Formats: sequence, C-alpha cells, structure tokens
Amino acid sequence: MAQKKIYPFAAIVGQEKLKEGLILNVINPGLSGILIRGEKGTAKSTAVRAIANILPETEFVKDCPFHLFPEEDIKVCESCPKRECFEAIKSGRPESIMRKVRVVELPVGATEDRVVGTMDMEHALQKGEKRIEPGILAEAHRGILYVDEVNLLDDHVVDVLLDSAAMGVNTVEREGVSFSHPARFTLVGTMNPEEGELRPQLLDRFGLCVNISGISNVAQRVEIMKRRIDFDKDPDGFINKWSDESENIAKEILTAKELLEKVTYTDRELEEIAKYCVDLEVDGHRGDIIMLKAARTIAAMRGKSAIDTTDIEEASMLALPHRMRKLPLQEIRSDITELRKKVKSQKQDMVNA
Amino acid sequence: MNFNASVIEKKAASGRPVFPFAAIEGQDMMKLSLILNAIDPLIGGVLIRGEKGTAKSTAVRALAAVLPEIEVFEGCAYSCDPCGELCDNCINSNGSAVRGMRPVRMTTLPLNSTEDMIVGSLDFESAIKSGKRVFQPGLLARVNRGILYIDEVNLLDDHIVDIILDSSSSGYNVVEREGISYCHQSEFILVGTMNPEEGDLRPQFIDRFGLCVEVKGCTDMATRIRLMKHREEFDFNPHGFIEKYTEENQQVRESIINAREILDTIIMPKNLKKYISELCLSKNVAGHRADIIIQRAAIALTALRKKREVTLDEILLAAELALVHRTREASNSAPLPPEPDDDNDEQENEESPENEDQNDDQDNEKEETPPPPPPQNSEEENSEHENDENQPDQNMENASVPDFNNMDMEVKDEMFDIGEVFKVKTIRIDKDRKKRRGSGKRMRTKTSQKQGRYVKSVFNRNDNDIAFDATIRAAAPFQKIRGKNANTLINIKNEDIRTKEREKKISNFLLFTVDASGSMGARGRMIASKGAVMSLLLDAYQKRDKVGMVAFRKKDAELVLPPTSSVDLAASRLKEMPVGGRTPLSIGLSKTFEVLNVQLIKEPSSKPVAVIITDGKSNVAAGNDKPVDEALQYAEKMSREERIKFIVIDSEEKGMVTFGLARKLASALHAEYFKIEDLKASDIVNVINRSK
Repeated sequence: MAQKKIYPFAAIVGQEKLKEGLILNVINPGLSGILIRGEKGTAKSTAVRAIANILPETEFVKDCPFHLFPEEDIKVCESCPKRECFEAIKSGRPESIMRKVRVVELPVGATEDRVVGTMDMEHALQKGEKRIEPGILAEAHRGILYVDEVNLLDDHVVDVLLDSAAMGVNTVEREGVSFSHPARFTLVGTMNPEEGELRPQLLDRFGLCVNISGISNVAQRVEIMKRRIDFDKDPDGFINKWSDESENIAKEILTAKELLEKVTYTDRELEEIAKYCVDLEVDGHRGDIIMLKAARTIAAMRGKSAIDTTDIEEASMLALPHRMRKLPLQEIRSDITELRKKVKSQKQDMVNA
Repeated sequence: MNFNASVIEKKAASGRPVFPFAAIEGQDMMKLSLILNAIDPLIGGVLIRGEKGTAKSTAVRALAAVLPEIEVFEGCAYSCDPCGELCDNCINSNGSAVRGMRPVRMTTLPLNSTEDMIVGSLDFESAIKSGKRVFQPGLLARVNRGILYIDEVNLLDDHIVDIILDSSSSGYNVVEREGISYCHQSEFILVGTMNPEEGDLRPQFIDRFGLCVEVKGCTDMATRIRLMKHREEFDFNPHGFIEKYTEENQQVRESIINAREILDTIIMPKNLKKYISELCLSKNVAGHRADIIIQRAAIALTALRKKREVTLDEILLAAELALVHRTREASNSAPLPPEPDDDNDEQENEESPENEDQNDDQDNEKEETPPPPPPQNSEEENSEHENDENQPDQNMENASVPDFNNMDMEVKDEMFDIGEVFKVKTIRIDKDRKKRRGSGKRMRTKTSQKQGRYVKSVFNRNDNDIAFDATIRAAAPFQKIRGKNANTLINIKNEDIRTKEREKKISNFLLFTVDASGSMGARGRMIASKGAVMSLLLDAYQKRDKVGMVAFRKKDAELVLPPTSSVDLAASRLKEMPVGGRTPLSIGLSKTFEVLNVQLIKEPSSKPVAVIITDGKSNVAAGNDKPVDEALQYAEKMSREERIKFIVIDSEEKGMVTFGLARKLASALHAEYFKIEDLKASDIVNVINRSK
C-alpha cells in the first residue's frame, strides 16, 4: 500500500492553540484527548495526522491486533485469534517491535460492530469455530482515535465510545462473542458547532477543548497557500525542507516528557485551580484533575520545574471552556479568565445587594 | 482451554491498577451504600445518580478490589459456592474439582450487549462437533457472586434492563431459547450509574434498585485539593499509591467481613419495624419493597457499626438511601432527596400544642433510647395521614403550574406563565408509529435499514439483515446429520436463518417553533400557547421523543433548545422564554428548517415533526418582500421536504376579527392545522391527575 505523504506538523501556519493542545496531549496522554471546535478548512485534520508523524516510537507486541505493550493485560490474549504470541506470553515475553503510534480514524458512518469488534463470520462458517475480530477501538489502543465530525456520530456509537474512553477498556458482549481488551486512546474529535452541539457527557470526556477559526491575517493566508502548493507539487522535498523543524518539535516533546514527572506544585496552586472550578461552577471534579495535569504539562513544555499562575491560567483556557454549566445554546466561551472575573464580580454584587 | 483461568485472572487483575477505595475523597453516602450492599447483597444494588466526574465508576471498580476473596471450584463457569448450591458441572465432578480463592469479579455490562450473550446461548462449536446442544453460559453466569456494573444504565436498552433486573431480583437466570432449557444461579450486586441530564430511567426500573444515592461534586476546598493530589499521585505511580492505602483498604475489607459475620444476630426492635412502615407511608411510597429494603439496609448498617440492636439513627440513614428514588410525586420530576430529620420535625410541629410537653419528654427519650415510644406512634400516624393527603396536591400544583414569576431574569421583556396543561389529542405523527414496541421508548427501524443496535435475533425471513451468530447456532446441532458442504464447514439450510432485531433510539423528533413576539403577549395568548406546548412536551416525554425549540421575535430566531431528550430542560426553557417585539415569521421558519435538516443528516431515517405555534401575523422579513408573503414562500419551499411533518397551532384568539393567516401558513406547509382549543383531547383529563 502506498504511503500517503503527510504534511509536516511544523509547517502548519498559525493555529497555535490547536498545535499546543495536541502537543500537550502527546506529552501527557493522561490529558485524555482534545476536542477541536471550528469551521471547515482550518487545518484540523491536517494537524492531527501530522502530530502522529512526529511522535516518538514506542514498543508494541509484534503484529498484535490489540496493539498491546509486551507486559500488558493479557486477559484478551486468551481469545485472540493470534495463538502464537499467546504461547509466547505463557512462557515469557512476546516478540516486540518499536514503531510510531497510529492515528485511527473513526468514520461518521461506522457501524457498531466495526467499532467494538465482533465475531469473525468467515472463520465461523469455514471452521465452525468462534474467533473474534477486533474493531476500531482495538486498533486505537495506545494511539490516537480521531473522530471527524464527532457531533454527527450516531448516538449508540457515541455511547460505546464514551464507555471505552471512560473505562480504558472495551467490553464486547454481542453477536456470540464475549471479550474485553484495553482501549486507552487519546480521543481527538473535531466538530463544527454550527451543526449541533455534543452531549455534555461526551464533552466532559475530552480533556481539553480549543475553539479555532480561520486566519484573517492576509500575510499568513498567503503563506498557507504557498506552503500548500509547495507541498502538493513536491511532497518529499517539502517534508525534507521541514525535517529539521519537525525534529526539533519531536525533541522538545521528548524533553518535556522526561521533565513532566519532576514538575512540582504546592497547595497554593491547587487551591487556585479548585477556586477556578468552583467560581465557574464546573460539574464534578474532572475539571480540577485535568486542569492540574494540563498545568503541569504546560510547565514541562516550557522547561519549568514548578507550575505557576500563568500555567494555571493557560490550563484553564484549555480545560474549562467545555465544562462550564451552560444553557444549551450558550456559546462555549474560551476567554475563561475574563469570564471568571465577571462571575466573581457578579457574585460580589449579589453579596453586596 | 488448557490453562489455569484463575492465574490469568489474577495476572490481569494486577495488571490494571485500581484506584484504592479508601483513597476516594468525600462521597460518603455513595461509599456507604456500596459497602452496605457488599455486606448484604440482598439489599438489591445501588443506583448512583449524579453529575459527571464524581468518582462514580472509580468507586465501583474500587469496591471490587476491597471485597474479600471468594471460594470457588476452579474452572467453574458459574462461580458456585462450594458450600452452597452447586451447578450441574460441579455436581457431576463429584468433588474432584479443586477449590480455590479468587477476588470478586466486577463485570461491566456494555451498553451494546446482545441478549444471547447476557443470558447465555447454544455453544455452536460443540454443537457442530458433537451434534449436542450444550449451554454456553453468558454474562449472568459470570457475574454470579460478583458485581454487575452498568454505566449509564439509563441509556441501556429496555429489553436488556428487563432481563438483568429479573435475574437480580430472583437470583436465578432462567434460559429458554434456541432449544436450550437451563437455569442457574445468578446472584450479584447490581450497581448502576446514570446522569439524569441524559434522561431518566423508567420508574419501574428505578424501583428495582435497592438503594439510590445522588452524588455531587464537593465544594470544600481542602477536599478538592486532596482529591487532585491523590489523583495525580495515582496516575504517576499507581502501584506505590495503592501500597500506601493497603492498610486502609484492609480495614474496609475487615469491617465488611466482620459485619457479615454478625449480620444474622442483629436485633430489630418491633416498634421500629412499625416505624419503617409509617415512614414509607408518609413518603407516599408505592409497594412494599421500600419497607423490606430499609430494614435490610438498617440491619447491615448496624452490623457495620458493630452494634447489636438497630436504632432509629440507622433506620433514618437507611431510609435516606432507600427512599430517594421511591418518593414519587405525581409528576415525572426527578426525585428529591428526603430529609429524615425534617420528617420528624414536621411530625412534631404538626402535633397539637397541648401535646407539646409530652412531646418534649419523648424527644429526650428518643435520644436516650432510640425506639420511639408506642404512644407517639398513633399520633404520628395521624399527622402522617394528613401529610399523605396534602403532599401530593402540593406537588401537583408545583408540577403543573411552576411558579417562575419570582425567577430573577435580567430580561426586560415579559415572561408569561404556562397556561393550562391538558391531555393532548393524539396527533398521528406517522403511520410507522404503530410499529413501536410496548415499552414505547424506542422504535424499531424500518426493515430496509440496517441501522441501530442489534439486540436480539428473531426467526423472520422477510429481511436481509441476517444475524450470523444466531443462524450458525440454529444450524449447528444438525451438522452431523446434514454432512459437509463444498466450501464451508457449516451446512446452513433455509430454516436456520435468523435475522437481527434492531432497536434504535426513537427517531421521532419534535421541534417546537414558538412565536414569542409582542402580539402573542396580548390577552394571555402566550399563556395559552405555553400551556399547549407544555402539554405536547409532556406527551413527548411519555413517548420518549426528542424535542427541540426555536423561538422567534424582534428580528431574529434562535434555537432556544437544541435537540435533546431532556424534556425537563425543554420545560425550563419554555418557562424562561421572554416575549416581546415584532414577528419575524419567515426567519423563524428558516431557522426551523435549518435545525430539522441537521437532524435529518444525523438520522436520515427519522421523521421529524415541526410544531409551529403562531398567529401568522408576520411583520419582519428577511429579504425585501412583504413579511407575510415571504413567510408563505418559505413555507411552500419547506413543504417540499417530505420527511418533515408540519403542524401549525393557531394562537389567534377566537371571536375577534380573525385574519386566518396561520391557516394560510398551514396550507402552504401542507400542515395539520389546530387551534389551541382544538388540541385538547375530548376527555379533558388533567395530565397530572392521570399519572396519579
């Protein structure tokens, strides 16, 4: 199969928020994904595909249909169609390879059995044996699950997606097969808010959220056109030209990853985070948790070893817009800091009155 | 399989670290209810209702890890208790099976489960090879003596919920299908979580859960901070974190074991039993399940507290957990958490003043010796009966005509009450509505479409949507006789073919387009209109339709409520809808069309219904035409989309000089036309009364 050429991440003009959100998720997969809200043609898909290309390589069991790490949950291997590596597991460590993480796309029209996996009918008919056929969720394990137009997804597929995203496990009890396999993925969704909003449950599953719009700066628009034409004309040359920059980003990601664990915080910062969420009436505690993670990751990305208020502020912009309780039609706001000031002063007014 | 299943299980269990139960901050009621169920599974499970991100799932998973290990025969598919009732396999093994200990299993029920996998079905592998019908245990077998966890239980298919609840209450799974007749034990702790924002469970289902807790995020700063720290620590070093809490987890485990041991010895004073029934009566609880569950929960709680005798305190706490979801008002509103203390206060307050002195004494007594003395009981009874009569009425009033005048809105426009709510005449939305199943919550898709969730297989050849798994199972037992086919191992005959029965969320979508212009404000037309919409909303709720709302006034139309299944939300939007300004009917129509089109993209098979409530007196245009003409033009265009059904409700008042513009609009849209007054069903029964 011919490899499709991927536009280099570094060559994307503008859309800093989007790029930052994606990089943060790569540095810390614990951020559980990003929702990109914006109009068509704003490099959403390009950025998602490009980010995978500069990701560091990780270890996988060779040819594993579930993309497992060699020492991972082996319950699923019992029913895995690949018997050889199951034998290997029982006696030790299976053969593994290093490769890049995959971006798996979930098409809007995907049927449920393709998403969660089902029984291999061909095998059943020919051999009279039960064998499972893993679905998209298995493919996405430890990778990026990319859902374009996530707001147009069928309700029952969304439910399944929610389930897996929440538990990190996909459990199948249907069509004659019963198995469960780990499915921890970075959920990247894009949507055009004009076509309807997401259910709050699903919104909450995305760690971060960015609103993006087309660039109105003329010089930048010209640059976008130029680069795109260059890329289409000679993809290899273009990729080469940007390879240094791409490598730089990859290196930055690696350094940040290492630093992440060492980033410290004090109770004062935690209190600040909690106050943010209380002030803005964020449901539940996922907001707090994600904000802390985001703040730490941002600090790591900037090479700092402790989080400070600017990190928290920036984290709030990414982690809270979609978590605030809002009226159904109310816009998702991104100017969190402003909003918080407003809410605070309103509350003050109420107290005064 | 020729390997040791329990080794794999242990390895798998240790593979994925579980957040320790003891480290969960706050949410005491939720933790308590889970522990009570662990002590006495007959309590009947917990339903956890609450907003997202409140450690619901985390707590359930953590519970499985703190539960004491259970003794089983190795390899037994039904997890039989070696000291209890045995399954056929274990009986046949004649004690040759090896006993072993293993942790309690937590089984998750995925939302998309099919019936055969839950109850179990024919094992086609062995059927093909040996020609024998062998039962292959399903999820209900695996979950025996474990925890069954259903996330988002309100999204689960009704049919599946029925099966689960059936086993959960009887403790057995009875299988009669595909030529198999089998019955096995299936006792489990049922834990369901749901987010009420996503629509509620049917009351019958709610009642089957023993306890119910409402969870909310903590607002306490210190707790929130600890919570973040714990989580972050756990994510970075799960095993270290778990180690830190081993001892505390062990304490929880031991308290459960100890409580189980003394459970049978707990004394339940007689007068308290009576008190429980009275409590249930005062809360207007239907049926007797609540009484039994309160008693069980109170006993379990007493055991947990290492006491020997149940006191009022335990009963009140147990009642709090058991009555949340059973205290039903006449309306369908979310259950309110009762406050047991208030209850007492109420009773005391309502007592006649001359009893006051006596009452005080009793109060003191109550604190010292918890059981309420018998003399008080009769009085309580009286006052409670009073409550009985008063409460529902009040509730009904609240439900039918919510008082939102005092709602503080910063809109200068007027807001009107919702007018009389009535039972709506059945509006025949579409012919295929009759295809609905009895449960009414969902609708089967048309046969030509292979969309929706595959729930079970049926014997029905009119359809190309073949359920391969069921077909193979049907053919399997005959393979020995039929002999081999050329290409495939399995020889499938016509009579084996099974097709899928799919269910899809109801695709009926009602979009209300409400004229909120100034002209509607006059002479209470808005009140009546709101009443009409409210009536239709209640109807929609009962039929589990999706609803949306567009309001137009001044120069603009706005989608006040995007498509949702939460009728509650629709009702509150309706209440808050301001009125005033001019009438941009055509803009309202185009917005309606836009919303409906999005809906049609999402669900091409759906047949949305647009209910347009207006007097038709358009006076703002989007373009340069006359407003009224433009609206009619738009209407003409919209009528060409055949999948949308339009209903026009004319809000113009009778008797005055009528313009009949709404009727014109209706004919342009090819819509059904009603006057508000015509909407009422001939037997005018108050909706609220009906549901009593």
